[in-house]
Amino acid sequence: MTEDQRIDTVSSTHDAGAQPSIEHAASSAAEQSSSSVPTIEMRHVDKHFGDLHVLRDINLRVEKGEVLVVIGPSGSGKSTLIRTINRLETIDSGEILLEGKTLPLEGKELAALRSEVGMVFQSFNLFAHKTILENVTMGPIQVLGMPKKEAEEKAMELLKRVGVAEQAAKVPAQLSGGQQQRVAIARSLAMNPKAMLFDEPTSALDPEMINEVLEVMVELAQGGMTMIVVTHEMNFARRVANRVIFMADGQIVEEDTPANFFDNPKTDRARDFLDSIKGH
Amino acid sequence: MSANVTSMRDVLYEAPGPKMRRRIIIGTVISLIVVLIGLALIIRQFYVTGQLAPRYWELFLKPTTWAFLGRGFLGTIQVAVTAGAIALVLGMVLMLGRISKIAPLRVVSRIIIDFFRGVPSLLLIYFFFLVIPKYGIRMPSFWMLTLPVAFAASGVLAEVFRAGVNAVPKGQTEAAMSIGMTDGKIMSKIVLPQALKIVIPSLVSQLVVVVKDTTVAYVVSYPDLMQNARVLITNYDVLVSMYFVIAIIYILVNFGINQLSIWMARRSGTRIITRNTEDPI
Repeated sequence: MTEDQRIDTVSSTHDAGAQPSIEHAASSAAEQSSSSVPTIEMRHVDKHFGDLHVLRDINLRVEKGEVLVVIGPSGSGKSTLIRTINRLETIDSGEILLEGKTLPLEGKELAALRSEVGMVFQSFNLFAHKTILENVTMGPIQVLGMPKKEAEEKAMELLKRVGVAEQAAKVPAQLSGGQQQRVAIARSLAMNPKAMLFDEPTSALDPEMINEVLEVMVELAQGGMTMIVVTHEMNFARRVANRVIFMADGQIVEEDTPANFFDNPKTDRARDFLDSIKGH
Repeated sequence: MSANVTSMRDVLYEAPGPKMRRRIIIGTVISLIVVLIGLALIIRQFYVTGQLAPRYWELFLKPTTWAFLGRGFLGTIQVAVTAGAIALVLGMVLMLGRISKIAPLRVVSRIIIDFFRGVPSLLLIYFFFLVIPKYGIRMPSFWMLTLPVAFAASGVLAEVFRAGVNAVPKGQTEAAMSIGMTDGKIMSKIVLPQALKIVIPSLVSQLVVVVKDTTVAYVVSYPDLMQNARVLITNYDVLVSMYFVIAIIYILVNFGINQLSIWMARRSGTRIITRNTEDPI
Protein backbone atom coordinates (compact mmCIF):
# COMPACT_ATOMS: atom_id res chain seq x y z
CA MET A 1 0.00 0.00 0.00
CA THR A 2 1.42 3.37 -0.96
CA GLU A 3 1.71 6.40 1.27
CA ASP A 4 -1.21 8.17 -0.44
CA GLN A 5 -3.58 5.25 -0.14
CA ARG A 6 -2.87 4.96 3.51
CA ILE A 7 -3.64 8.59 4.15
CA ASP A 8 -6.87 8.06 2.23
CA THR A 9 -8.03 5.31 4.53
CA VAL A 10 -7.28 7.48 7.50
CA SER A 11 -9.23 10.45 6.27
CA SER A 12 -12.18 8.29 5.27
CA THR A 13 -12.47 6.88 8.80
CA HIS A 14 -12.22 10.38 10.10
CA ASP A 15 -15.30 11.32 8.12
CA ALA A 16 -17.25 8.35 9.34
CA GLY A 17 -17.14 9.59 12.88
CA ALA A 18 -20.48 8.16 13.86
CA GLN A 19 -19.47 4.58 13.22
CA PRO A 20 -17.42 3.90 16.36
CA SER A 21 -20.23 4.90 18.68
CA ILE A 22 -22.56 2.47 16.95
CA GLU A 23 -20.02 -0.27 17.50
CA HIS A 24 -19.71 0.86 21.04
CA ALA A 25 -23.39 0.53 21.61
CA ALA A 26 -23.17 -3.02 20.33
CA SER A 27 -20.26 -3.88 22.57
CA SER A 28 -21.81 -2.39 25.66
CA ALA A 29 -24.93 -4.35 24.89
CA ALA A 30 -22.77 -7.44 24.85
CA GLU A 31 -21.32 -6.35 28.16
CA GLN A 32 -24.70 -6.09 29.80
CA SER A 33 -25.95 -9.41 28.59
CA SER A 34 -22.44 -10.85 29.26
CA SER A 35 -23.23 -13.56 26.75
CA SER A 36 -19.75 -13.34 25.23
CA VAL A 37 -16.47 -13.79 27.10
CA PRO A 38 -14.48 -10.54 27.08
CA THR A 39 -11.01 -10.71 25.51
CA ILE A 40 -9.49 -8.91 28.47
CA GLU A 41 -11.04 -8.56 31.88
CA MET A 42 -9.65 -7.02 35.07
CA ARG A 43 -11.47 -7.56 38.39
CA HIS A 44 -10.68 -5.53 41.49
CA VAL A 45 -7.02 -5.18 40.57
CA ASP A 46 -4.78 -3.43 43.11
CA LYS A 47 -1.09 -2.71 42.99
CA HIS A 48 1.41 -0.83 45.13
CA PHE A 49 4.92 0.38 44.43
CA GLY A 50 6.09 0.58 48.03
CA ASP A 51 3.82 3.14 49.66
CA LEU A 52 2.46 4.32 46.36
CA HIS A 53 -0.94 2.88 45.47
CA VAL A 54 -0.56 2.79 41.69
CA LEU A 55 -3.68 0.80 40.78
CA ARG A 56 -6.83 1.11 42.91
CA ASP A 57 -9.60 -1.40 42.42
CA ILE A 58 -9.43 -1.48 38.64
CA ASN A 59 -12.39 -3.14 36.92
CA LEU A 60 -12.33 -3.33 33.18
CA ARG A 61 -13.80 -5.35 30.33
CA VAL A 62 -12.53 -5.19 26.79
CA GLU A 63 -14.65 -7.08 24.26
CA LYS A 64 -13.32 -8.78 21.16
CA GLY A 65 -12.59 -6.23 18.45
CA GLU A 66 -12.93 -3.31 20.83
CA VAL A 67 -10.48 -0.41 20.86
CA LEU A 68 -9.98 1.13 24.28
CA VAL A 69 -7.97 4.31 24.75
CA VAL A 70 -6.46 5.00 28.17
CA ILE A 71 -5.72 8.61 28.90
CA GLY A 72 -4.53 10.47 31.98
CA PRO A 73 -1.75 12.54 33.53
CA SER A 74 1.71 11.02 33.96
CA GLY A 75 1.93 8.90 37.09
CA SER A 76 -1.76 8.08 36.93
CA GLY A 77 -1.02 4.38 36.45
CA LYS A 78 -2.00 3.99 32.80
CA SER A 79 1.27 2.35 31.73
CA THR A 80 1.22 0.12 34.80
CA LEU A 81 -2.35 -0.85 33.96
CA ILE A 82 -1.55 -2.22 30.54
CA ARG A 83 1.75 -3.71 31.66
CA THR A 84 -0.13 -5.85 34.20
CA ILE A 85 -2.16 -7.39 31.40
CA ASN A 86 0.79 -9.40 30.09
CA ARG A 87 2.34 -9.48 33.52
CA LEU A 88 5.34 -7.26 32.85
CA GLU A 89 4.10 -5.91 36.19
CA THR A 90 2.71 -8.16 38.89
CA ILE A 91 -0.45 -7.29 40.80
CA ASP A 92 -1.06 -7.39 44.55
CA SER A 93 -4.67 -8.52 44.48
CA GLY A 94 -7.57 -8.96 42.09
CA GLU A 95 -7.76 -10.98 38.93
CA ILE A 96 -6.87 -10.53 35.28
CA LEU A 97 -8.51 -12.82 32.73
CA LEU A 98 -7.76 -13.38 29.08
CA GLU A 99 -10.66 -14.87 27.16
CA GLY A 100 -12.07 -15.95 30.50
CA LYS A 101 -8.91 -17.64 31.72
CA THR A 102 -6.90 -16.34 34.67
CA LEU A 103 -3.43 -15.05 33.86
CA PRO A 104 -0.83 -17.72 34.69
CA LEU A 105 1.70 -16.62 37.31
CA GLU A 106 4.94 -17.88 35.79
CA GLY A 107 6.80 -20.31 33.59
CA LYS A 108 5.94 -21.66 30.18
CA GLU A 109 2.21 -20.96 30.61
CA LEU A 110 2.93 -17.29 31.24
CA ALA A 111 5.31 -17.12 28.28
CA ALA A 112 2.66 -18.77 26.10
CA LEU A 113 0.08 -16.26 27.24
CA ARG A 114 2.37 -13.32 26.57
CA SER A 115 2.84 -14.57 23.03
CA GLU A 116 -0.91 -14.15 22.53
CA VAL A 117 -0.94 -10.53 23.65
CA GLY A 118 1.12 -8.15 21.54
CA MET A 119 2.87 -5.23 23.19
CA VAL A 120 4.23 -2.08 21.61
CA PHE A 121 6.49 0.07 23.78
CA GLN A 122 7.12 3.79 23.90
CA SER A 123 10.82 3.23 23.20
CA PHE A 124 10.24 0.61 20.43
CA ASN A 125 12.65 -1.90 22.07
CA LEU A 126 13.62 -3.57 18.82
CA PHE A 127 16.36 -6.17 19.33
CA ALA A 128 19.39 -3.97 18.67
CA HIS A 129 21.71 -6.76 17.49
CA LYS A 130 19.27 -8.26 15.00
CA THR A 131 18.20 -7.13 11.56
CA ILE A 132 14.68 -5.82 11.02
CA LEU A 133 13.69 -9.13 9.43
CA GLU A 134 15.21 -11.12 12.30
CA ASN A 135 13.33 -8.93 14.78
CA VAL A 136 10.06 -9.99 13.21
CA THR A 137 10.97 -13.68 12.74
CA MET A 138 12.37 -14.03 16.29
CA GLY A 139 9.02 -14.80 17.90
CA PRO A 140 7.62 -17.15 15.26
CA ILE A 141 10.91 -19.14 15.08
CA GLN A 142 11.86 -19.19 18.78
CA VAL A 143 8.40 -19.32 20.36
CA LEU A 144 6.08 -20.91 17.80
CA GLY A 145 8.76 -23.15 16.29
CA MET A 146 7.91 -22.02 12.78
CA PRO A 147 10.39 -23.04 10.04
CA LYS A 148 12.74 -20.18 9.16
CA LYS A 149 11.64 -19.96 5.55
CA GLU A 150 7.97 -19.67 6.44
CA ALA A 151 8.67 -17.16 9.23
CA GLU A 152 10.64 -14.98 6.82
CA GLU A 153 7.91 -15.02 4.21
CA LYS A 154 5.35 -14.04 6.80
CA ALA A 155 7.65 -11.37 8.22
CA MET A 156 8.21 -9.81 4.80
CA GLU A 157 4.45 -9.72 4.30
CA LEU A 158 3.99 -7.92 7.63
CA LEU A 159 6.84 -5.52 6.94
CA LYS A 160 5.20 -4.70 3.62
CA ARG A 161 1.93 -4.11 5.42
CA VAL A 162 3.52 -1.56 7.77
CA GLY A 163 5.51 -0.05 4.91
CA VAL A 164 9.10 -0.89 5.86
CA ALA A 165 9.82 -3.94 3.69
CA GLU A 166 12.77 -2.19 2.00
CA GLN A 167 14.50 -1.90 5.38
CA ALA A 168 14.39 -5.64 6.11
CA ALA A 169 18.17 -6.18 6.05
CA LYS A 170 19.09 -3.15 8.14
CA VAL A 171 19.55 -3.02 11.91
CA PRO A 172 17.21 -0.94 14.09
CA ALA A 173 19.72 1.88 14.67
CA GLN A 174 19.64 2.62 10.93
CA LEU A 175 15.89 3.33 10.92
CA SER A 176 13.93 6.40 11.93
CA GLY A 177 11.81 6.28 15.07
CA GLY A 178 8.61 6.00 13.06
CA GLN A 179 10.00 3.13 11.02
CA GLN A 180 11.24 1.37 14.16
CA GLN A 181 7.84 1.64 15.81
CA ARG A 182 6.15 0.20 12.72
CA VAL A 183 8.61 -2.71 12.81
CA ALA A 184 7.74 -3.19 16.50
CA ILE A 185 4.09 -3.45 15.51
CA ALA A 186 4.96 -5.99 12.82
CA ARG A 187 7.00 -7.96 15.38
CA SER A 188 3.93 -8.20 17.62
CA LEU A 189 1.62 -9.06 14.73
CA ALA A 190 3.90 -11.91 13.70
CA MET A 191 2.67 -13.79 16.78
CA ASN A 192 -0.99 -13.54 15.65
CA PRO A 193 -1.96 -11.91 18.94
CA LYS A 194 -5.53 -11.97 20.27
CA ALA A 195 -5.09 -8.44 21.53
CA MET A 196 -2.52 -5.69 21.26
CA LEU A 197 -1.35 -3.33 24.00
CA PHE A 198 0.19 0.02 23.05
CA ASP A 199 2.13 1.89 25.74
CA GLU A 200 2.36 5.50 24.51
CA PRO A 201 3.50 4.32 21.08
CA THR A 202 3.99 7.80 19.63
CA SER A 203 5.34 9.68 22.65
CA ALA A 204 9.00 9.16 21.75
CA LEU A 205 8.52 10.12 18.11
CA ASP A 206 9.32 13.32 16.27
CA PRO A 207 6.07 15.06 15.27
CA GLU A 208 6.41 14.28 11.57
CA MET A 209 6.60 10.55 12.31
CA ILE A 210 3.58 10.26 14.56
CA ASN A 211 1.09 9.92 11.73
CA GLU A 212 2.83 7.08 9.94
CA VAL A 213 2.54 5.04 13.14
CA LEU A 214 -1.03 6.09 13.90
CA GLU A 215 -2.05 5.13 10.36
CA VAL A 216 -0.83 1.60 10.92
CA MET A 217 -2.76 1.48 14.19
CA VAL A 218 -5.92 2.81 12.55
CA GLU A 219 -5.68 0.03 9.95
CA LEU A 220 -5.27 -2.53 12.69
CA ALA A 221 -8.31 -1.21 14.53
CA GLN A 222 -10.35 -1.31 11.35
CA GLY A 223 -9.19 -4.86 10.75
CA GLY A 224 -10.93 -5.83 14.00
CA MET A 225 -7.93 -6.07 16.32
CA THR A 226 -8.70 -5.84 20.02
CA MET A 227 -6.56 -2.97 21.28
CA ILE A 228 -5.78 -1.10 24.47
CA VAL A 229 -3.90 2.09 23.68
CA VAL A 230 -2.31 4.45 26.17
CA THR A 231 -2.06 7.66 24.22
CA HIS A 232 -2.70 11.40 24.27
CA GLU A 233 -3.49 11.47 20.56
CA MET A 234 -7.06 12.74 20.77
CA ASN A 235 -7.67 12.56 17.03
CA PHE A 236 -6.70 8.93 17.04
CA ALA A 237 -9.00 8.28 19.98
CA ARG A 238 -11.92 10.05 18.30
CA ARG A 239 -11.36 8.20 15.06
CA VAL A 240 -11.06 4.59 16.21
CA ALA A 241 -11.70 4.22 19.92
CA ASN A 242 -14.94 2.62 21.08
CA ARG A 243 -14.31 3.80 24.60
CA VAL A 244 -12.00 6.12 26.48
CA ILE A 245 -11.06 5.64 30.09
CA PHE A 246 -9.55 8.51 32.03
CA MET A 247 -7.20 7.58 34.87
CA ALA A 248 -5.90 9.63 37.78
CA ASP A 249 -4.09 8.49 40.92
CA GLY A 250 -4.41 4.85 39.97
CA GLN A 251 -8.17 4.95 39.53
CA ILE A 252 -10.46 4.89 36.55
CA VAL A 253 -12.12 8.26 37.03
CA GLU A 254 -14.18 8.44 33.88
CA GLU A 255 -15.30 6.07 31.15
CA ASP A 256 -17.17 7.16 28.05
CA THR A 257 -17.28 7.29 24.27
CA PRO A 258 -14.51 9.45 22.82
CA ALA A 259 -16.99 12.06 21.59
CA ASN A 260 -18.67 12.39 24.99
CA PHE A 261 -15.44 12.33 26.92
CA PHE A 262 -13.55 14.90 24.88
CA ASP A 263 -16.50 17.26 24.38
CA ASN A 264 -18.24 16.93 27.76
CA PRO A 265 -15.92 15.56 30.42
CA LYS A 266 -17.91 14.87 33.59
CA THR A 267 -15.23 15.39 36.22
CA ASP A 268 -13.12 18.46 36.96
CA ARG A 269 -9.93 16.44 36.85
CA ALA A 270 -10.66 15.24 33.33
CA ARG A 271 -11.60 18.76 32.28
CA ASP A 272 -8.37 20.19 33.73
CA PHE A 273 -6.33 17.50 32.11
CA LEU A 274 -7.95 17.96 28.70
CA ASP A 275 -7.40 21.71 28.94
CA SER A 276 -3.73 21.16 29.72
CA ILE A 277 -3.11 18.88 26.73
CA LYS A 278 -5.19 20.98 24.35
CA GLY A 279 -2.96 23.92 25.26
CA HIS A 280 -0.28 22.89 22.80
CA MET B 1 39.94 2.62 12.40
CA SER B 2 41.58 6.04 12.21
CA ALA B 3 38.29 7.52 11.12
CA ASN B 4 36.70 5.91 14.14
CA VAL B 5 39.26 7.39 16.51
CA THR B 6 38.91 10.88 15.11
CA SER B 7 35.16 10.83 15.38
CA MET B 8 35.42 9.60 18.97
CA ARG B 9 37.85 12.44 19.74
CA ASP B 10 35.54 14.95 18.15
CA VAL B 11 32.82 13.77 20.48
CA LEU B 12 34.95 13.93 23.61
CA TYR B 13 36.97 17.08 22.92
CA GLU B 14 36.19 20.16 20.93
CA ALA B 15 38.43 20.74 17.92
CA PRO B 16 41.57 22.73 18.89
CA GLY B 17 41.77 26.38 17.83
CA PRO B 18 44.93 28.12 16.49
CA LYS B 19 46.36 28.94 19.95
CA MET B 20 45.68 25.44 21.21
CA ARG B 21 47.31 23.96 18.13
CA ARG B 22 50.49 25.95 18.79
CA ARG B 23 50.52 24.78 22.39
CA ILE B 24 50.04 21.17 21.24
CA ILE B 25 53.08 21.47 18.93
CA ILE B 26 55.25 22.97 21.71
CA GLY B 27 54.09 20.26 24.12
CA THR B 28 54.87 17.55 21.59
CA VAL B 29 58.41 18.84 21.02
CA ILE B 30 59.14 19.19 24.73
CA SER B 31 57.86 15.73 25.60
CA LEU B 32 59.87 14.21 22.72
CA ILE B 33 63.02 15.84 24.07
CA VAL B 34 62.27 14.55 27.59
CA VAL B 35 61.74 11.01 26.29
CA LEU B 36 64.98 11.11 24.27
CA ILE B 37 66.95 12.38 27.26
CA GLY B 38 65.44 9.62 29.41
CA LEU B 39 66.39 6.95 26.88
CA ALA B 40 69.91 8.37 26.60
CA LEU B 41 70.26 8.27 30.39
CA ILE B 42 69.14 4.66 30.51
CA ILE B 43 71.58 3.61 27.79
CA ARG B 44 74.34 5.58 29.51
CA GLN B 45 73.58 3.82 32.79
CA PHE B 46 73.66 0.47 31.02
CA TYR B 47 77.05 1.44 29.58
CA VAL B 48 78.46 2.75 32.86
CA THR B 49 77.46 -0.38 34.75
CA GLY B 50 78.83 -2.55 31.96
CA GLN B 51 75.48 -4.02 30.96
CA LEU B 52 76.21 -3.40 27.31
CA ALA B 53 79.25 -5.66 27.46
CA PRO B 54 79.11 -8.36 24.77
CA ARG B 55 79.10 -11.19 27.33
CA TYR B 56 75.61 -10.16 28.41
CA TRP B 57 74.21 -10.14 24.91
CA GLU B 58 76.09 -12.69 22.80
CA LEU B 59 73.94 -15.58 24.04
CA PHE B 60 71.09 -14.06 22.04
CA LEU B 61 73.07 -14.89 18.90
CA LYS B 62 72.87 -18.61 19.66
CA PRO B 63 69.91 -20.47 18.15
CA THR B 64 69.80 -22.76 21.21
CA THR B 65 68.93 -19.76 23.40
CA TRP B 66 65.99 -18.92 21.22
CA ALA B 67 64.95 -22.54 20.95
CA PHE B 68 64.88 -22.76 24.75
CA LEU B 69 63.04 -19.46 25.12
CA GLY B 70 60.71 -20.58 22.32
CA ARG B 71 59.78 -23.72 24.26
CA GLY B 72 59.06 -21.52 27.25
CA PHE B 73 57.01 -19.23 25.07
CA LEU B 74 54.94 -22.19 23.85
CA GLY B 75 54.47 -23.25 27.48
CA THR B 76 53.22 -19.77 28.34
CA ILE B 77 50.82 -19.76 25.40
CA GLN B 78 49.49 -23.22 26.30
CA VAL B 79 48.79 -22.21 29.88
CA ALA B 80 47.36 -18.83 28.92
CA VAL B 81 45.04 -20.21 26.24
CA THR B 82 43.84 -23.13 28.39
CA ALA B 83 43.39 -20.95 31.47
CA GLY B 84 41.65 -18.26 29.38
CA ALA B 85 39.24 -20.80 27.88
CA ILE B 86 38.42 -22.34 31.27
CA ALA B 87 38.00 -18.88 32.80
CA LEU B 88 35.60 -17.78 30.04
CA VAL B 89 33.37 -20.83 30.49
CA LEU B 90 33.56 -20.86 34.30
CA GLY B 91 33.09 -17.08 34.46
CA MET B 92 29.96 -17.40 32.33
CA VAL B 93 28.58 -20.21 34.50
CA LEU B 94 29.30 -18.25 37.69
CA MET B 95 27.66 -15.13 36.25
CA LEU B 96 24.53 -17.09 35.29
CA GLY B 97 24.43 -18.46 38.82
CA ARG B 98 24.94 -15.01 40.27
CA ILE B 99 21.91 -13.60 38.43
CA SER B 100 19.78 -16.74 38.81
CA LYS B 101 16.29 -16.54 40.25
CA ILE B 102 17.17 -19.38 42.65
CA ALA B 103 18.43 -17.72 45.84
CA PRO B 104 20.81 -20.44 47.15
CA LEU B 105 22.48 -20.72 43.75
CA ARG B 106 22.87 -16.94 43.72
CA VAL B 107 24.50 -16.89 47.16
CA VAL B 108 26.89 -19.76 46.40
CA SER B 109 27.92 -18.20 43.07
CA ARG B 110 28.51 -14.90 44.75
CA ILE B 111 30.72 -16.44 47.44
CA ILE B 112 32.78 -18.30 44.82
CA ILE B 113 33.14 -15.18 42.68
CA ASP B 114 34.21 -13.01 45.60
CA PHE B 115 36.64 -15.66 46.77
CA PHE B 116 38.33 -16.03 43.38
CA ARG B 117 38.40 -12.28 42.93
CA GLY B 118 39.68 -11.52 46.39
CA VAL B 119 42.44 -14.12 46.74
CA PRO B 120 45.75 -13.36 44.94
CA SER B 121 46.41 -15.89 42.19
CA LEU B 122 49.78 -16.70 43.75
CA LEU B 123 47.98 -17.88 46.88
CA LEU B 124 45.69 -20.06 44.75
CA ILE B 125 48.76 -21.55 43.09
CA TYR B 126 50.29 -22.36 46.47
CA PHE B 127 47.02 -24.01 47.38
CA PHE B 128 47.16 -26.26 44.31
CA PHE B 129 50.90 -26.85 44.74
CA LEU B 130 51.14 -27.44 48.48
CA VAL B 131 47.71 -28.21 49.91
CA ILE B 132 45.94 -30.35 47.33
CA PRO B 133 48.80 -32.91 46.92
CA LYS B 134 48.59 -33.54 50.67
CA TYR B 135 45.18 -35.06 50.09
CA GLY B 136 46.62 -37.46 47.59
CA ILE B 137 45.56 -35.64 44.45
CA ARG B 138 48.50 -35.58 42.07
CA MET B 139 48.39 -33.40 39.02
CA PRO B 140 51.02 -32.29 36.49
CA SER B 141 52.61 -28.88 37.02
CA PHE B 142 50.72 -27.63 33.95
CA TRP B 143 47.42 -27.98 35.78
CA MET B 144 48.82 -26.75 39.07
CA LEU B 145 49.50 -23.50 37.24
CA THR B 146 46.59 -23.41 34.77
CA LEU B 147 43.73 -24.12 37.17
CA PRO B 148 44.52 -21.44 39.77
CA VAL B 149 45.17 -18.85 37.07
CA ALA B 150 41.87 -19.83 35.40
CA PHE B 151 39.94 -19.71 38.69
CA ALA B 152 41.32 -16.31 39.61
CA ALA B 153 40.37 -14.95 36.20
CA SER B 154 36.90 -16.58 36.23
CA GLY B 155 35.87 -14.54 39.27
CA VAL B 156 36.73 -11.32 37.50
CA LEU B 157 35.22 -12.47 34.20
CA ALA B 158 31.95 -13.36 35.95
CA GLU B 159 31.69 -9.76 37.12
CA VAL B 160 32.68 -8.47 33.67
CA PHE B 161 29.93 -10.58 32.09
CA ARG B 162 27.46 -9.39 34.70
CA ALA B 163 28.31 -5.77 34.00
CA GLY B 164 27.64 -6.50 30.32
CA VAL B 165 24.29 -8.16 31.05
CA ASN B 166 23.28 -5.20 33.23
CA ALA B 167 24.27 -2.81 30.47
CA VAL B 168 21.72 -4.32 28.05
CA PRO B 169 18.64 -2.08 28.31
CA LYS B 170 15.70 -3.56 30.22
CA GLY B 171 13.42 -2.87 27.26
CA GLN B 172 15.21 -5.60 25.29
CA THR B 173 14.19 -8.19 27.89
CA GLU B 174 10.66 -6.82 28.13
CA ALA B 175 10.22 -6.93 24.38
CA ALA B 176 11.43 -10.53 24.33
CA MET B 177 9.07 -11.40 27.20
CA SER B 178 6.18 -9.75 25.37
CA ILE B 179 6.55 -12.04 22.36
CA GLY B 180 6.51 -15.04 24.70
CA MET B 181 10.19 -16.00 24.85
CA THR B 182 11.23 -18.07 27.88
CA ASP B 183 13.93 -16.90 30.32
CA GLY B 184 16.60 -19.17 28.85
CA LYS B 185 15.96 -18.04 25.30
CA ILE B 186 15.83 -14.40 26.32
CA MET B 187 19.27 -14.80 27.89
CA SER B 188 20.86 -16.77 25.05
CA LYS B 189 19.27 -15.03 22.05
CA ILE B 190 18.75 -11.46 23.20
CA VAL B 191 20.76 -10.47 26.28
CA LEU B 192 24.06 -12.39 26.05
CA PRO B 193 24.84 -11.57 22.40
CA GLN B 194 24.50 -7.87 23.19
CA ALA B 195 26.27 -8.13 26.55
CA LEU B 196 29.30 -9.89 25.04
CA LYS B 197 29.71 -7.20 22.43
CA ILE B 198 29.72 -4.57 25.17
CA VAL B 199 32.37 -6.29 27.28
CA ILE B 200 34.88 -7.33 24.59
CA PRO B 201 37.41 -4.66 25.66
CA SER B 202 37.23 -5.68 29.34
CA LEU B 203 37.47 -9.36 28.39
CA VAL B 204 40.66 -8.71 26.50
CA SER B 205 42.30 -6.76 29.29
CA GLN B 206 41.48 -9.70 31.54
CA LEU B 207 43.17 -12.03 29.04
CA VAL B 208 46.28 -9.85 29.38
CA VAL B 209 46.11 -10.37 33.15
CA VAL B 210 45.94 -14.14 32.53
CA VAL B 211 49.12 -14.00 30.43
CA LYS B 212 50.86 -12.04 33.15
CA ASP B 213 49.61 -14.39 35.87
CA THR B 214 51.32 -17.32 34.13
CA THR B 215 54.70 -15.81 34.99
CA VAL B 216 54.50 -17.27 38.49
CA ALA B 217 55.01 -20.68 36.86
CA TYR B 218 58.37 -20.97 38.61
CA VAL B 219 56.49 -21.74 41.83
CA VAL B 220 55.40 -25.08 40.36
CA SER B 221 58.51 -25.39 38.12
CA TYR B 222 56.45 -25.34 34.98
CA PRO B 223 58.68 -24.45 32.00
CA ASP B 224 57.03 -21.26 30.76
CA LEU B 225 58.83 -18.30 29.22
CA MET B 226 59.66 -16.76 32.58
CA GLN B 227 60.88 -20.03 34.10
CA ASN B 228 63.13 -20.81 31.10
CA ALA B 229 64.47 -17.27 31.20
CA ARG B 230 65.37 -17.78 34.86
CA VAL B 231 67.24 -20.96 33.94
CA LEU B 232 69.25 -19.06 31.34
CA ILE B 233 69.89 -16.24 33.82
CA THR B 234 71.43 -18.65 36.31
CA ASN B 235 73.45 -20.49 33.69
CA TYR B 236 74.86 -17.46 31.87
CA ASP B 237 74.67 -14.83 34.66
CA VAL B 238 72.79 -12.41 32.36
CA LEU B 239 70.12 -10.92 34.58
CA VAL B 240 69.38 -7.48 33.09
CA SER B 241 69.70 -8.29 29.40
CA MET B 242 67.55 -11.42 29.76
CA TYR B 243 64.78 -9.67 31.66
CA PHE B 244 64.96 -6.86 29.14
CA VAL B 245 64.42 -9.27 26.22
CA ILE B 246 61.57 -11.25 27.77
CA ALA B 247 59.86 -8.06 28.95
CA ILE B 248 59.76 -7.02 25.30
CA ILE B 249 58.34 -10.42 24.35
CA TYR B 250 55.55 -10.09 26.98
CA ILE B 251 54.81 -6.56 25.81
CA LEU B 252 54.56 -7.77 22.20
CA VAL B 253 52.24 -10.63 23.15
CA ASN B 254 49.91 -8.36 25.09
CA PHE B 255 50.07 -5.74 22.37
CA GLY B 256 49.02 -8.50 19.97
CA ILE B 257 46.07 -9.41 22.21
CA ASN B 258 44.99 -5.77 22.30
CA GLN B 259 45.20 -5.51 18.51
CA LEU B 260 43.08 -8.65 18.32
CA SER B 261 40.44 -7.00 20.50
CA ILE B 262 40.39 -3.91 18.29
CA TRP B 263 40.01 -6.15 15.27
CA MET B 264 37.21 -8.09 16.98
CA ALA B 265 35.41 -4.91 18.00
CA ARG B 266 35.68 -3.60 14.45
CA ARG B 267 34.49 -6.86 13.01
CA SER B 268 31.41 -7.04 15.21
CA GLY B 269 30.76 -3.38 14.45
CA THR B 270 31.22 -3.51 10.70
CA ARG B 271 29.21 -6.69 10.41
CA ILE B 272 26.19 -4.64 11.30
CA ILE B 273 26.88 -1.94 8.76
CA THR B 274 27.77 -4.24 5.86
CA ARG B 275 24.68 -6.37 6.42
CA ASN B 276 22.35 -3.92 4.76
CA THR B 277 24.03 -4.56 1.41
CA GLU B 278 23.20 -8.23 1.60
CA ASP B 279 20.06 -9.81 0.30
CA PRO B 280 17.26 -9.58 2.87
CA ILE B 281 16.37 -13.26 2.75
